[in-house]
Amino acid sequence: MIRRLFVPARVDEIPIGTRVIAYGLLGLWTLVVLFPLYWMAITSFKLPIDVSNGPVYVPFIDFKPSLDAWHYIFVDLGPDTFRPYVNSLIIATSSTAAAVFLGSIAAYALARIEYRPPVAAVGLGVLMLAVVVAAVGWGGVDLRIAVAVCGALFFLLLRAIIRRARRHFANDDILFWIISQRILPPVVTVIPIYLTFKSIGLLDTRTALIITYATANVPIVVWLMFDFFASVPKEIEESAQIDGATRFAILFGIVVPLVAPGIVATGLLVLILSWNEYLFALFLSTANAQTLPLLVAAQNATRGPQWWNMSVLILIMILPVMLLTLTLQRFIVKGILVGAVKG
Amino acid sequence: MNDMETQAPRPSHFASSTLPHSKSVSLRNVSKTFGDTRVLHDLSLDVHAGEFLVLLGESGCGKTTALRIIAGLESASEGSIYVGDNDVTQQLPRDRDVAMVFQSYALYPHKTVFENIAYPLIVRKRAKAEIDAAVREVAASVHLEPQLDRYPRQLSGGQRQRVALARAIVRRPAAFLMDEPLSNLDAKLRGHMRAELKHMQHELGVTTIYVTHDQIEAMTLAHRVALIDKGVLQQLDAPARIYSDPANLFVAGFIGSPPMNFLRGTLTNNRFASEGMALVADVNYHGEAVLGVRPEDCMLVTAADGEFRGHIYSVELIGDHSLVTLNVGQQQMVVKVSNMFTGEIGAEVGLRASRERVYFFDQSSGLRIRQC
Amino acid sequence: MQSSSHVSSPASQRRASRRSSVANWLDRQAPYVFVLPAVLLILAFSIFPLVTSAYLSLMRFSLGEGGYELKFVGMRNYVRLFSGSQQFHFVGVFRPPGIISLSVMVAAALATGWWLLSYLRSRHRSVVGAIGRLIAAASLLALVWLAANTVGHGGELGSLMVTLFYVVFGVALQFLLGLGLAYLCTLQLKGGRFFRILFFLPLMVTPVGIAYMFRMMADTAVGPLAPVWAWLGLGQISWAADPWLARIVVIIGDTWQWVPFMFLVLLAALEGTSRDQIEAAQLDGASSWRIFRDVTWPSIAPVAASAVLIRLIEAFKVVDLPNVLTNGGPGIATESMTLHAFIEWRTLNLGGASAVAYMLFFVSTIACVSFFQLVVRRARGGQS
Repeated sequence: MIRRLFVPARVDEIPIGTRVIAYGLLGLWTLVVLFPLYWMAITSFKLPIDVSNGPVYVPFIDFKPSLDAWHYIFVDLGPDTFRPYVNSLIIATSSTAAAVFLGSIAAYALARIEYRPPVAAVGLGVLMLAVVVAAVGWGGVDLRIAVAVCGALFFLLLRAIIRRARRHFANDDILFWIISQRILPPVVTVIPIYLTFKSIGLLDTRTALIITYATANVPIVVWLMFDFFASVPKEIEESAQIDGATRFAILFGIVVPLVAPGIVATGLLVLILSWNEYLFALFLSTANAQTLPLLVAAQNATRGPQWWNMSVLILIMILPVMLLTLTLQRFIVKGILVGAVKG
Repeated sequence: MNDMETQAPRPSHFASSTLPHSKSVSLRNVSKTFGDTRVLHDLSLDVHAGEFLVLLGESGCGKTTALRIIAGLESASEGSIYVGDNDVTQQLPRDRDVAMVFQSYALYPHKTVFENIAYPLIVRKRAKAEIDAAVREVAASVHLEPQLDRYPRQLSGGQRQRVALARAIVRRPAAFLMDEPLSNLDAKLRGHMRAELKHMQHELGVTTIYVTHDQIEAMTLAHRVALIDKGVLQQLDAPARIYSDPANLFVAGFIGSPPMNFLRGTLTNNRFASEGMALVADVNYHGEAVLGVRPEDCMLVTAADGEFRGHIYSVELIGDHSLVTLNVGQQQMVVKVSNMFTGEIGAEVGLRASRERVYFFDQSSGLRIRQC
Repeated sequence: MQSSSHVSSPASQRRASRRSSVANWLDRQAPYVFVLPAVLLILAFSIFPLVTSAYLSLMRFSLGEGGYELKFVGMRNYVRLFSGSQQFHFVGVFRPPGIISLSVMVAAALATGWWLLSYLRSRHRSVVGAIGRLIAAASLLALVWLAANTVGHGGELGSLMVTLFYVVFGVALQFLLGLGLAYLCTLQLKGGRFFRILFFLPLMVTPVGIAYMFRMMADTAVGPLAPVWAWLGLGQISWAADPWLARIVVIIGDTWQWVPFMFLVLLAALEGTSRDQIEAAQLDGASSWRIFRDVTWPSIAPVAASAVLIRLIEAFKVVDLPNVLTNGGPGIATESMTLHAFIEWRTLNLGGASAVAYMLFFVSTIACVSFFQLVVRRARGGQS
């Protein structure tokens, strides 16, 4: 009899038994997704006593909601709340704009122009880099002098190399190198970055984080935008070329409007990544350039977790992202999918 | 990889396995509604065992839906489906003992040709030796032996189609269902495969239900043709009768290339009058009617001798014949003439039609008005 | 797909000469202008720090009178991680060897050996392929040995194993859940679109926020599940004090966040499966499970492999969850390698921190490159 539940009533319909189980599982996961968010939302309206006396579940029935925590965060801690919020906003938007811009033009170039950097030139570059590092660390040479000297050496030798070089890298190699930067764990680069910014006095500033985030996200932009650019029909650009337009004009006037959805998707993805970023902010910021993730994490330090205050902070941190994503979720999904499916 | 290799007809490999497996297939009062749209209206069809039946119609007329309902991939909103004496309406596709060849062939890309063909048997847990023998036998009959270890992506369109066919054959099903299997092939290959299909069906004797929008395929392959328009069965008959004895305007206009000429007019007192001209009509009917006559059943004569008169609109040389389009009053007619025809555009000519080849249809219902 | 960078036809050359020479010059420099900013940025803030980090890992950092001092100590930082004073932190504490650990080791050695041999005997072998597989096999064996000897009674996991635990079990769990949910959404159930948008939600929550959310939820005294724990008699257990429970909570938080990603990608892949092939298999007599195995799975394999790779790359970097959820505790039980490096840095042990970071870099790269070559490539190659 149980078996009959799993036989379809009509051939192209799903049997009742299967449907019940499917809805059940999906419903369960819906609960798993929504319940923590719900819990956090109501906790933000709780008084300390409501929390420490044991769990209460429904506002107005189990407990009386209060705006105490909200008041505390926004009024009592006012500037301490707004500063990180503003910082996060500025850092996220600026670094996203920079990453999308630089990454897109690089992706476009890699999709349309043929590069052939000689292997020897790349090798020389890496060598010069190592020399700079050794000179600064070991020999105590000033960073600027080391860079200047090695840079000059590099350019001098470059001529000779280009003429004699026989093996070259191709676009695919450059693309692979840029995209593989993503594998690099941030913790590997963060300490030297910290030292660099410290030496030029940019520690604990928004600029430092903007530069760092832009660098970290350019690979993603290149990876995602490359496919979008490659799929633009070449004929459109070629006819503009024949008409005499410059490469810049073609890119910004013709191609960009065509890949606009891709730019939006990628931008959104990068914006979310920057908004939520934790590690670099942890190392590079203390007070002035504190971002929201740091603020949330800092709540832990004092008198034990104050869940009610934290909930407010987390909520104000999540809400802008949620609203933005919900309104534009179609684009993000497409962005992730293009990357995963083609990548 | 020569698709066109014509070999001497092989002796039948299936002598031991033909007719006993074949069953009749019936649709009884089948209707199908998708949302608000009624796609099939009370369709009833009986396909005899061993028969090649073609479901013919334009895109969207419901023929593919009907096929999928027989297969069990869609459910019928009303009505029932029978395979042999079994009511299979509630049964899943796998239990209905029918095999289907899809328009896109639906080959499994990760399996070799051998594994593709063997799949129906593997799923039914047959012995390995049995599977091996059966697959090789079927592959030989469709000339696919050299390709057994290849993958579908390495095959040409014609070869892929034969793999799809082989996969259907290997099961010895009660019926074959085919959904426009030739439409993805180029014209030359299509003609060759038509002949192959007809021969194969004859050899195997399997009940075959074949969906197409191409009337040539229908006429050449079918024992009987079921012409469907907007979900309603228009006529179910042998190709010859569909051609020479159409049941309504739709059938008359669908079959035949170039299509039948239609002249709108009025029938009164055994006379059909149109555009100021008339001819004697051997039917007892009064009302608005349509006269139908095929281009190949007309001939051009001098204006004085013609039953209808008109002016030449255009002359097209096809090769072994020419087509002359005439303006008869406000309507147009096409006449097939010899390729030596030398009429000028604008010239006045007359038209005569063989009496037996003239059809009359009621103008509003489209139904054929038969001789009394 | 790639066009040469110079304008060639006479007509366009004539038009080009009508533009100002500055514009012309700029246009010819376009290849550099487009690509160099991104490349330079990466060179300056990625490659340069990478090299510097390697350099730092060979140094000992100490604060002195007038500033800081870097003293060259060679491989000492690395040696300390593996067999020196930091061994407990990175590698873990070894348990007394037992039958189980020995047999696991032997089984793994045999399996990898057999796999290597079959590759060497295959038709498509190459030197690079052999070296790559050798490295992968050696690393795998080393990790299995480590796992066999630190997991269980008397042993403690170090940050290396903890990171691997998060990566392997976390990604596996996320994949299976994402696949399951995606499959359920492909059945023609009403409300599919609602579920899609809803399941996307966790991706938008900041990881730090997720960590706190789950801390709240997991609190056995005042969390929402407290009645459940009390009923089960577990009301007094603090999950934060048990190493394995704490790790599991971290995985739960990580899974909650990343299942949506897998779900979205796999859903798109499932929906892209050819409906004709599925119907053909239905007619051929295959059951739902067989259809999934023979038609659906091969069809989604390339996308699934790519998605898992993306997730693997990110999973190695995990730091916010263990940091905020448990602060790496109890003790060091939930520390990922990134967190380990951060803690070293906090104690001003720049050299040690860099060494840990580099170890993470090596492990991560070997794992991801191996996975790419052995799994992703194969999955993509099988597609018609």
